[in-house]
Amino acid sequence: MSEERIKQSYTKQEKQAVFDNEFLPHINSMYNFGFRLTLDPDDAKDLVQDTYLKAYRFIESFQKGTNAKAWLFRILKNSFINDYRKKTKEPSKVDYQEVETYYNSEDVNRQITPDLRVESLQDMIGDEISNALNSLDVDFRTVIILCDLEGFKYEEMAKILDIPIGTVRSRLHRARNLLKEKLSEYAKSMGYKNTEL
Amino acid sequence: MTPPNNPFIQADGKKATCMEMLQIIVDGEATSEQQEYFKNHMDRCLPCFKSYDLDMAIKQLLKSRCCGGEAPTGLIEQIKIQIKQNTPS
Repeated sequence: MSEERIKQSYTKQEKQAVFDNEFLPHINSMYNFGFRLTLDPDDAKDLVQDTYLKAYRFIESFQKGTNAKAWLFRILKNSFINDYRKKTKEPSKVDYQEVETYYNSEDVNRQITPDLRVESLQDMIGDEISNALNSLDVDFRTVIILCDLEGFKYEEMAKILDIPIGTVRSRLHRARNLLKEKLSEYAKSMGYKNTEL
Repeated sequence: MTPPNNPFIQADGKKATCMEMLQIIVDGEATSEQQEYFKNHMDRCLPCFKSYDLDMAIKQLLKSRCCGGEAPTGLIEQIKIQIKQNTPS
């Protein structure tokens, strides 16, 4: 928790009330986030459990009336980085320098995937979109989950991820291009590329 | 008719690119002036017009296919039990 925060004081009953009424209702979103990060149901369960235990333990740092979901997501994301990501042998593949350069370059308006059409998307009724999302590098996956699945605002995402808003936007932009490339591949392999229209 | 002032001008005086405008619109981060400006812009910019539909469709598809699942049954109970065990009464 990097920001200066005044610690709240909660009675045991208040603690319980905040936990039950403000934290627990987000369990499904939290599990989905955990699963999409770890891509493993058991790890997701452990991660969510761990996050809720931390949330209870550090409940004094939670400001009443602020966005509980964003606060929980932030704890889950940090737990994931500290406990799970270290275990994986592969370091993050995202080169942020390259992302920034890309976003600011002249050809930013270039259509990356001119062959991906709304019509092709409508035919993706199976796991294509979910698989495409899961195939992205975790940093790219994360911004799409936060923005498109959970509807967080850029400002909230910046706080959850501890990055500037400009980085949120450029990462999101790059993530969506990668997702479109993936979806294009699926569309092509499904044979919708050259259908009429 | 295009409004005279471009509400997408950034702090450094640079005009936002089409992709930057589109992103702000699609993510619901635009002010009403920006929405109005972009609507006019889209009438004249075919790439934006096409990308808008595609980006919105992808966003909706993600929302409908990748969330809405439920946490495993018993997870809440397990959490509550663990908290009880870890909290001195």
